[in-house]
Amino acid sequence: MNITEDMVKEIILEVLKEIQGDEKTAARPAGSATQLQFQELGTAKVGTNRNEVVIGVPPAFGVAMTQTIIDIPHKEVLKEIMAGIEEEGLKSRLVRVNKTADVGFIAHEAAKLSGSGIGIGTISRGTTVIHQRDLAPLQNLELFSQSPLVEKETFRAIGRNAAKYAKGEHPNPVPVRNDPMARPKYQGLAALLHNKEVLYVRPDVTSTELTVQL
Amino acid sequence: MPYIAGVDIGNNSTEVAIAEFARSDEARIVSSSIVKTVGIKGTVRNVLGVIDALDRALSPLGIPRKDLDIVLLNEATPVIGDVAMETITETVITESAMIGHNPSTPGGMGLALGTTIMLEDMASASPDKQWIVVIPGSTEFRVASEQLNRAMSAKFQIAGAIVQKDDGVLIHNRLHHSIPIVDEVIHIDRVPVGMPAALEVAVVGKTIEKLSNPYDIATLFELTPEETRDIVPIARALTGTRSAVVIKTPRGDIQERRIPAGKIKLIGQHQKVDIQIDEGAESIMEQVVKVSPLLEIQAEPGTNVGGMFETVRQVMADLTDQPVSAIRVQDILAVDTLVPQRVRGSLAGEYSLGNAVGLAAMVETQKLPMQRLARKLEEEIMVPTIVAGVEAEMAIRGALTTPGTKPPMAILDLGGGSTDASLINESGEIKSVHFAGAGEMVTLLIDKELGLDDLELAEKIKLFPLAKVETLFHMRHENGSVQFFHEPLDPRLFGRVVVISENGPIPVETREPLAKIVEIRQKAKKKVFVHNSLRALERVGPANNIRLISFVALVGGSALDFEIPRMISDSLIEYGVVTGRANIRGTEGPRNAVATGLVLAYEEKQRN
Repeated sequence: MNITEDMVKEIILEVLKEIQGDEKTAARPAGSATQLQFQELGTAKVGTNRNEVVIGVPPAFGVAMTQTIIDIPHKEVLKEIMAGIEEEGLKSRLVRVNKTADVGFIAHEAAKLSGSGIGIGTISRGTTVIHQRDLAPLQNLELFSQSPLVEKETFRAIGRNAAKYAKGEHPNPVPVRNDPMARPKYQGLAALLHNKEVLYVRPDVTSTELTVQL
Repeated sequence: MPYIAGVDIGNNSTEVAIAEFARSDEARIVSSSIVKTVGIKGTVRNVLGVIDALDRALSPLGIPRKDLDIVLLNEATPVIGDVAMETITETVITESAMIGHNPSTPGGMGLALGTTIMLEDMASASPDKQWIVVIPGSTEFRVASEQLNRAMSAKFQIAGAIVQKDDGVLIHNRLHHSIPIVDEVIHIDRVPVGMPAALEVAVVGKTIEKLSNPYDIATLFELTPEETRDIVPIARALTGTRSAVVIKTPRGDIQERRIPAGKIKLIGQHQKVDIQIDEGAESIMEQVVKVSPLLEIQAEPGTNVGGMFETVRQVMADLTDQPVSAIRVQDILAVDTLVPQRVRGSLAGEYSLGNAVGLAAMVETQKLPMQRLARKLEEEIMVPTIVAGVEAEMAIRGALTTPGTKPPMAILDLGGGSTDASLINESGEIKSVHFAGAGEMVTLLIDKELGLDDLELAEKIKLFPLAKVETLFHMRHENGSVQFFHEPLDPRLFGRVVVISENGPIPVETREPLAKIVEIRQKAKKKVFVHNSLRALERVGPANNIRLISFVALVGGSALDFEIPRMISDSLIEYGVVTGRANIRGTEGPRNAVATGLVLAYEEKQRN
């Protein structure tokens, strides 16, 4: 892919707009998907239930941003992950991790809150990690680092595998497509989405327990 | 002080023993070493490995290679083995008569009987019939469960459901009334509609009871005795699964088909016998015993077994510079196994266990080109090199340095390609035999039975015990003991069955539980090593009687295995035989027997 000077300018302008943009423009959902109806239930606590998997999302997820980098509505993302967990006979719990936009740390926070010790972290553009509480934050059980390759079916499989880890089974890792063009094609957009994600991070706020109407 | 070196080139490893030698005094072995054999044994390429092994043995002594007085090579037994696997049965489903598989999570439980119908046709269905609803993957589980609920409250009688995606539990959780649901039926489009069907889901931890019993199927579908006979293969195929569907189609059928795998001809001294591979290992080995002593084994050309025999003979011919026609296969070991195979014509991508026969073949020729190898080695290291002794004799001589042994004694050489036995009697006469099938055969069996398609991993499973990583800080070994760790384990190992190899744990990616892998490993070792040990000892034993042998020492690489010596010992205890791993010179364990024997034999010859 050729990146012309014009394109670079356009991207820079876009970024500047994002950075300097006032609250109103920034708060508007980026895509056409509808916002999620979250209900906040106060500070998230460490679960005691061995049959739960905690899903962690950043503050912008489903609110300021409503779909992944390949336009999967966040509603679908949560539906699929939760269905994958339910199919295996486990329960899911949703948590908003306010302090960071880093998918690894979000997933680790979710794992630490999870009664089973297994957590899933997924950020607005679709990057996802399955984590375990005894691991170091930058390690993982499974990592889906290329958001453009994380599809609807992948989210279902991620939920399923996380539930299997929680049951002490040994699932085969979710197959991930590899596309060498994903990086050049989506890098600019991913950077923008990241910037936007970071805007909503509140480092001094603890994680919030959520329910959602799907 | 002159030094002499004994060198044993084996299929897998090259071993060296170095001795200080004085005509007046006894030889004293001062150093030994072991390296991997380079190239096929008996070829000139071995020289590289030999030099490496010599250097390793000499370096602690601080003497250069040229100070060696003489290098003694073994007259290697020219034995080459090869292994192959032939499937002899497969399951074929014609029409869509049944689905029997183990989706990890079916929905609901119980038995349902009804007529198959597509979900979308439910609205126009008759209200006074029982229905089994077929739900394609295009229907989301929420929509499907809503429609089912609506149909149920409208007094339609829904007995069960067949689902394409992994949605069984999801749909079941949303229904007002519980029904059994079989999911993950990949080829749902092939499920016939409007046919009577029975569906069963067992509770977690159990397997289905009704649909695996031919009389229960006959009861459900009101079958005649003739029809009941026809559905026996279905019932058999469904045994042991957690969920199943049987659909009564006009011509639906399931067969176990035998695949023609070719035949072999056993030519003995006194008689000839033709035998089909698909008759199974037991009858092949029965015939081998009956026909023995075997002169040659021929395979039907153009069949799979024929191809395997050709490869073995070709390798041997290349090695010895003889025409292929002069090479004869002299022993086979056949082993029955079960190999997971995809069921042909299945609806859910089911696997069934097909019968297979594993074959190990062995070729023995007159002489390997050892002289050529000796000349080449002499050129390379400038030390006189001679071919000094026959492998079996040297091995037994080496084995006799084990403390607590004396003739008469037998040794079992458990190698990679062949299992050899030799016996020395009180008067020093030595008798030996070579049989096909050893370590490589075990590896092949493990690989095929687990469906790994990874010989390297299968080899690791053979060599090392297993464990299950239960948390990142502890694992449970196959014997039940728990090991804790201060540092977290690699996350890739989390929840997995691992092989505890010398380089740390390696994950085994298979759905089989740990106990099953252990069982397959132990069975494979028993089928090959225990069977071959008994067969070989019977042949060398006085009057072909194992009971007349009092001591058996195990040597060779596979004698180092963590469970094979115990298995052999367990089976020989019945014959009152003292069995144990050799401990060459009291220090080497089961290794270095031949190299040690070479040095000792040379010394004895020089003295007389």
